[in-house]
Amino acid sequence: MIEALNLSKEYGAFSAVRDLSFSVSAGQVVGFLGPNGAGKTTTLRMLAGFLGPSRGTVRVLGHDVSEEPMRARRAIGYMPEAAPLYPEMRVAEYLAFRAALKLVPRRERKLAVQRAMDLSRVADMRNTVIGHLSKGYRQRVGLADALVSNPPLLILDEPTAGLDPNQIREVRELIHSLAREHTVLLSTHILSEVEAICERALVLHQGQLVAEGPIGELLRHRQSRRVYWELRDAPGMAKSLLESLGAKTLSQVEASHSQILTLETEWTPDVSDVELQLEKAVTQLVEHQVGVRRVETARAKLEEVFSALTEAQPTPLPDRPAAQREELRS
Amino acid sequence: MTGFWAIYRRELWALWVTPVAWILLTTFLLLQGGVFYSIVLHFSGATELSFDNGPIESYFGQGSIFLLMTLLLMCPALSMRSFAEEQRSGTIEPLLTAPVRASAIVLGKYLATFTTYLLMWSPTLLYPVILRGTGVVDPWVVASSYLGLALLGAAYLAIGTLMSALTKSQLAALMLSVLLQFGIFVLGVGEYIFEPGPLHALCSHVSMLSHMEEFSKGIVDLRRIVFDLSLVILALFVTTEVVDSWRWS
Repeated sequence: MIEALNLSKEYGAFSAVRDLSFSVSAGQVVGFLGPNGAGKTTTLRMLAGFLGPSRGTVRVLGHDVSEEPMRARRAIGYMPEAAPLYPEMRVAEYLAFRAALKLVPRRERKLAVQRAMDLSRVADMRNTVIGHLSKGYRQRVGLADALVSNPPLLILDEPTAGLDPNQIREVRELIHSLAREHTVLLSTHILSEVEAICERALVLHQGQLVAEGPIGELLRHRQSRRVYWELRDAPGMAKSLLESLGAKTLSQVEASHSQILTLETEWTPDVSDVELQLEKAVTQLVEHQVGVRRVETARAKLEEVFSALTEAQPTPLPDRPAAQREELRS
Repeated sequence: MTGFWAIYRRELWALWVTPVAWILLTTFLLLQGGVFYSIVLHFSGATELSFDNGPIESYFGQGSIFLLMTLLLMCPALSMRSFAEEQRSGTIEPLLTAPVRASAIVLGKYLATFTTYLLMWSPTLLYPVILRGTGVVDPWVVASSYLGLALLGAAYLAIGTLMSALTKSQLAALMLSVLLQFGIFVLGVGEYIFEPGPLHALCSHVSMLSHMEEFSKGIVDLRRIVFDLSLVILALFVTTEVVDSWRWS
């Protein structure tokens, strides 16, 4: 669907994007992930044809964005960051204008506008002047604009930025439903967002691709070392026992009357096989008459994976040799 | 030229839906009405009339210093918005990622300002109609006068469109085009300063005063038309290149 090859963009001496290559096949929802200034917007602008790359090529449905810009752009529905719109136009007027620009045939325009408004839930504001709309609505009009010509590829730059939690949920649901018919490429610096919407993530840092793959695989990049415990600790020794096995206590709640101890622990770097150590700990706890009520291993959040991948000076992760992490980057 | 009509219609609509065009129109018509009134007043007291110096010729010709001064402000004010505002608000991004060529965008925006310019002049068509009530009006003179005005406006607006593409600020675009147009105007005044020679020839070639002077007498000189149209084409061509170059900034 879209293919980028050795994409680079330089502003004078500053290189915003360096040697970026990836491809997205039809029907995928792919997230561009990275902290602010990682080069996400520059990359999406190059994909949408707003910026020309300093080096490298972008192909959309086989059409080079620089050489056949009209064909490539027809296949793309692009929502720029912060969705800039003409404030003096009414919502339906604006969408009709955009539909005409995007070569939607005159007879189908009305229907296309209605469909886009329905999908992005702005139909109730159709006659409102855009300048009077709230940020959330404006964002959704931008989304409707991207949808109005029903293009196969959607490129959305921070589609949920500036929205309240309810609106964020709505936009996520919308993107989910769009994924059936469209290929979606979106950027975000909120990691849980990628976790919620995307099947695949491309992690950018300082203009370079530092990791790429299905979300699940990215999560596996870093095994969580945290364990939540709920113990009936009559002898009052569970904590020291766990600590002797290498589980450092992060937090604890003691209910004095019921002898229930709730603990959150993290394995120290000396522990190499976390699962084996957990097994050992449970056995020993049981042997020492501690009632094990709940043991929960935390799933690594993408945030943790992300910070591990994008730390400028990466501190070596104890459970992953440096060489192996290099492998993941490439 | 796909996309041209959509751009043209939106720009025209945007010019008239914001107060700018109406304020301009009101100011413009008040000024022109005043000028026309004083010219008519002058001629009503005159005892002798020469063949080629009636109120119409005065209005578009010798009196055209007033007319030029209003044009000097009106054209930049019409064109200042075109690209500066799109750049400032960021709407240039959805515009340039739509399947439209830069040439269609430039032409659509330019012709929308030009249409507005012509619409602003259209009420003044009443003046010759009023004059016909009391005397003879040569329709050829009226037609050539308006042709001269249209050409002058076309050139000014093209310059203004280019200036608007060069900056993000409408005010800067306004100042730049006023400055440039005033420069051309002053260069034209050189016609009355220099002795006949190459400098004099250059100055009289670009002179807006003698431009209108000739058209107001019904003299349609091809050189004038070529000069104005080449200004339009040059300015619009450079604007298209500027818009295309944003991709590579």
